[in-house]
Amino acid sequence: MAATLTQRCWAAPGVKLNPTPQTLTRNPKPKSLSLPLSANSTCSLFSFTPPPSPTFTKSSSSSSSVRTAVAAVESDQLSSAEKKPSRYYFVVANAKFMLDEEEHFQEQLFERLRLFKERNNEQDFWLVIEPKFLDKFPDITRRLGRPAVALVSTNGPWITFMKLRLDRVLSESFEAESLEQALASSPTNIEFKKPDKWVAPYPKYESEWWGPFLPPGSKEEAKV
Amino acid sequence: MALVKPITNFGNVVTPKFGNTRSTSSKTSSTMIRMSSSTKKSSTKKAIKETLLAPRFYTTDFDEMETLFNTEINNNLNQVEFEALLQEFKTDYNQTHFVRNKEFKVAADNLQGPLRQIFVEFLERSCTAEFSGFLLYKELGRRLKKTNPVVAEIFSLMSRDEARHAGFLNKGLSDFNLALDLGFLTKARKYTFFKPKFIFYATYLSEKIGYWRYITIYRHLKANPEYQCYPIFKYFENWCQDENRHGDFFSALMKAQPQFLNDWKAKLWSRFFCLSVYVTMYLNDCQRTAFYEGIGLNTKEFDMHVIIETNRTTARIFPAVLDVENPEFKRKLDRMVEINQKLIAVGESDDIPLVKNLKRIPIVAALASELLAAYLMPPIESGSVDFAEFEPQVVY
Repeated sequence: MAATLTQRCWAAPGVKLNPTPQTLTRNPKPKSLSLPLSANSTCSLFSFTPPPSPTFTKSSSSSSSVRTAVAAVESDQLSSAEKKPSRYYFVVANAKFMLDEEEHFQEQLFERLRLFKERNNEQDFWLVIEPKFLDKFPDITRRLGRPAVALVSTNGPWITFMKLRLDRVLSESFEAESLEQALASSPTNIEFKKPDKWVAPYPKYESEWWGPFLPPGSKEEAKV
Repeated sequence: MALVKPITNFGNVVTPKFGNTRSTSSKTSSTMIRMSSSTKKSSTKKAIKETLLAPRFYTTDFDEMETLFNTEINNNLNQVEFEALLQEFKTDYNQTHFVRNKEFKVAADNLQGPLRQIFVEFLERSCTAEFSGFLLYKELGRRLKKTNPVVAEIFSLMSRDEARHAGFLNKGLSDFNLALDLGFLTKARKYTFFKPKFIFYATYLSEKIGYWRYITIYRHLKANPEYQCYPIFKYFENWCQDENRHGDFFSALMKAQPQFLNDWKAKLWSRFFCLSVYVTMYLNDCQRTAFYEGIGLNTKEFDMHVIIETNRTTARIFPAVLDVENPEFKRKLDRMVEINQKLIAVGESDDIPLVKNLKRIPIVAALASELLAAYLMPPIESGSVDFAEFEPQVVY
């Protein structure tokens, strides 16, 4: 038991972290739909309650710098339209880890998508299944379970944060002339074995949840 | 920080060196005490029994914190990671999330009987726990401003989150015609002192376990909406992403202080904190099964799920974690619950204090031996891949 978990945690020396590992308990019952969207969609129509007490709020200072950050990203994309290469940052690991095991990762991506929509920001992050850019990184591919999935973004600090969160991922960056070029991928079937023991008091997230995060136009090829 | 503030002073059971709680002040639950500091605090304060397991307020050695994160003294601080975290906290995902609606009052009015009291206690404990996070982070934000403005600002932004959470819970209490007087709480409660490194272990675990508790309740209720008896749970999904991010920040803080992660002492402390946090939660929740059953959860199954997931998360940073997936671990927890019940029964008996204390001795000894046995179970080596010696061989 201990050995298995260790392996899970570490992919112990020389042991290849198999994309279909002997998972212990994270395993679904029959599929059922539970996308973690908008629990609060009905909530915001009513009167806005000011933060709890004047003695302990200071949320206002934070928004301006966000806009700056976003503005920087946008100008980044503008420049890519002018054929100036942009830098893309990514974390990458095997598909099982990225899409099946790390359920909080899905919550994060949907949270970010929700925020970008709320603030009318252009999406600057994508999931790329079997990305072609990996060919430029033999040191990474040598150590990567396949199929691989990368989280790619033009926002470098955010990818640094995602590396901190996910930990069991490799991180790098590259330049590309266009978005299409940066996010090109090889057609791959992604299918995960249903875990045979699922003890969580809720259903597992539905497979295919990653659809909204695939690069524009790539949904077809990623289909199972 | 989240539903529970699961730190106790079991320290003196397992190892005497550990910072004891300096006092067991009484938890002041206040009926109709407004939180505004100007109004006079009058009225019926019913003292709730303070136990080892009640949520705590923390304080730490702020001078040592200043030194630890002084950018001039400490050159190997990973400022890139901190800058990235700062951007993430500034993004403020939940800026407009905590907005109430009319459902709250209606739902509260519909909660009657024993469940009502349990809900009030839940809101009260949660509010206290979040508020204690607010106080600690706020002070750290203030104190670190000069030596490390980036880290300081992150603390301030985290205190923003905690204030929001506490305020939202306190608003929830108002649905039950109650309010915690947070200003009073700040002054009246006793603070537990932890050295910085213990603050890191404890708050990391507290935030991550908070995330797993909230998300588990949220996803369970999403799948079983018939148990959705109070709308606050609908906010948990976004809410707990804050907790998760807070945990990430403590991860980064510990990575910036590898001496807290890379030796045998760190491993012992890691296991110790895991154990005290898991045991505290388990014993706490097993005293409140009515709450979990009231929202359709099996308390022990819920807790074990939370413990296992928290442990897996924690294995990405702590150098050692407990083998909580070994069935023996749960058996030990269950025995502790039984022993704890005996302990509570003695406290509630009509014996004179001396007799009570005498009766407690063998029970406390039994609890201590279970704890020690759980602590000494073979651990699991773990940690961030950033620190792994064999990292070059890891296949991702």
